[in-house]
Amino acid sequence: MGFPTAPLVTIAFKDLAKTNAANRGMPGERIVFLPHPMTNKTDEQMYAVLEGNDPVTGKNVMKEMVDALTQPLTAEEMKTGKVTPDIGPATYTDTADNLQRFYCDNNLTDFMPIILPTEEKVAAMLKGTSHKPDEVVGELSAARGAQPSWSFTVRHVAINAVMAGARPEYFPVILAISSTGQPALFSSTSSFSRMLLLNGPISDQIKMNYGIGAMGPFAEPNATIGRAWTILSKNLGGCGMPGLTYMGSLGTNFNYNNICIAETENKLPDGWKPFHAQKGFKPDESVVSIFSGWSLNNVAWFPNMPYHELIKNWLTHFFSFGTSAATLLLDPTIAREAKEKGFNSKEELSDYWSKNSKTPGWLYWDTHQRELKQAQAGVEPYASYLKMGDGEIPFQRFYRRGRFGAPPDPNPKSSIEVIVLGGETNTYWAGGDFSYVTSASIDKWR
Amino acid sequence: MMGISPAILAGTPALGEPKTKSAAILPAKIETLNPKGLPPPIQLIPMAPRLATLDGKTIFLVSDGFAGADRFLAQIAIWFQKNMPSVKTVYRLKAGSYFDDDPKLTAEIKASGNAMIMAYGH
Repeated sequence: MGFPTAPLVTIAFKDLAKTNAANRGMPGERIVFLPHPMTNKTDEQMYAVLEGNDPVTGKNVMKEMVDALTQPLTAEEMKTGKVTPDIGPATYTDTADNLQRFYCDNNLTDFMPIILPTEEKVAAMLKGTSHKPDEVVGELSAARGAQPSWSFTVRHVAINAVMAGARPEYFPVILAISSTGQPALFSSTSSFSRMLLLNGPISDQIKMNYGIGAMGPFAEPNATIGRAWTILSKNLGGCGMPGLTYMGSLGTNFNYNNICIAETENKLPDGWKPFHAQKGFKPDESVVSIFSGWSLNNVAWFPNMPYHELIKNWLTHFFSFGTSAATLLLDPTIAREAKEKGFNSKEELSDYWSKNSKTPGWLYWDTHQRELKQAQAGVEPYASYLKMGDGEIPFQRFYRRGRFGAPPDPNPKSSIEVIVLGGETNTYWAGGDFSYVTSASIDKWR
Repeated sequence: MMGISPAILAGTPALGEPKTKSAAILPAKIETLNPKGLPPPIQLIPMAPRLATLDGKTIFLVSDGFAGADRFLAQIAIWFQKNMPSVKTVYRLKAGSYFDDDPKLTAEIKASGNAMIMAYGH
């Protein structure tokens, strides 16, 4: 038996909190709602909130809190048993136009027209894999641990792949993505973006575009595989319901396609491994890798310094929600120049950037409040850092952190990933705060 | 033929052709599949019995780690001191992210507390 609890939640999360409580078996949880946001209020303003009213019920906040802990339970609040969520009928019957409208109105799509998933089309998609339709592929959740994990089969994935317009030959890629348990739409308020990278023979087999416009809407597999991940995340994991399982305040346009790309492996400089080989896969294996982040800068700049130096300087000054990981997407022309400058592998280049990029003073202190107090007390090296004002502080921020609470690694590994792609029409590159999440074998799902 | 509207098969009526209520121009109905996966069944959990009164009780004020929750809980502690001074409050920061359970803290509250107020989000 537990103990009486009064959870306090700000009004912006009303639907999320109530649904989450219901999903966890306590539909009547006595939640006290507060104004939103609370984070920026003064102590006096916070106290005034306690003396004010719950914006949902209109009752005094403190009385409601005390009542939540002391008012006897109702019969409803003491209920036991199991509830099976209703997902609707197995099939829908109507005209094609009405069905398009139905799928759209019920948040089963990305709000663009879909290929209607008839039995015939799904059967054709299932021919893209040797796996049985009823095989369980895995689980998906909008936020593992906080939101329920849904399970799904090969057939479920096929239905969603059809809707996204994918061809059967793309199906093993979509199954591999699904098998990771990673959703394209994550519930966070911070509007996560995702990225999909294909490596190995699959890229040529399905004609992924990794040349001119590699990150743009110029090839069917790039377009539909990325789209399928978003649609299946909604339907197979319950993700992407604004206010319930998706809370990204601004959202991100990247979620339409999830930056579905392939590496230009045939243009890698000598000695540079394709990304999947860097992660331990054989070069002739077909692999999809998943990245998570928020934003990308697409940089067109012709510097009077080598590009690896320019990118080092960009890394010093780049910041977003993520300040400790980065992924660089280099046109083959940039990769070749780096090789000519002596970087014999992606790892060497990544290590150089990790060790030599710095941190602007304001950013360092904003993320190191404890060290700021030490600096103000004269503790070195922080006191010297403080004297540098907004200058570049020699603090290495792009490195892999250990688990929460683990002691610092004296020789940390770089957290900067390098991908080579593009059509060599000019010396361009893109960089962002994406970090590597996981990879999955596509061959396993053929 | 599934998925193909009979209207397309019938072709576009010629200009000036009289419109009729012919069944051939009505779009056919087709059957499509539900794309949803399988959400887990929900096990209903009865809520813990409530306290008859808070007088003399110990309430744990637990922050889930979001910015400002600690300051807000401190104001709740002040409110209890002013308005219900027999209530003892104990502040704790929950371990892990907001996703994670903190079994150690749960055990502590069960052993030495009577209730919890948890805050809050953003």
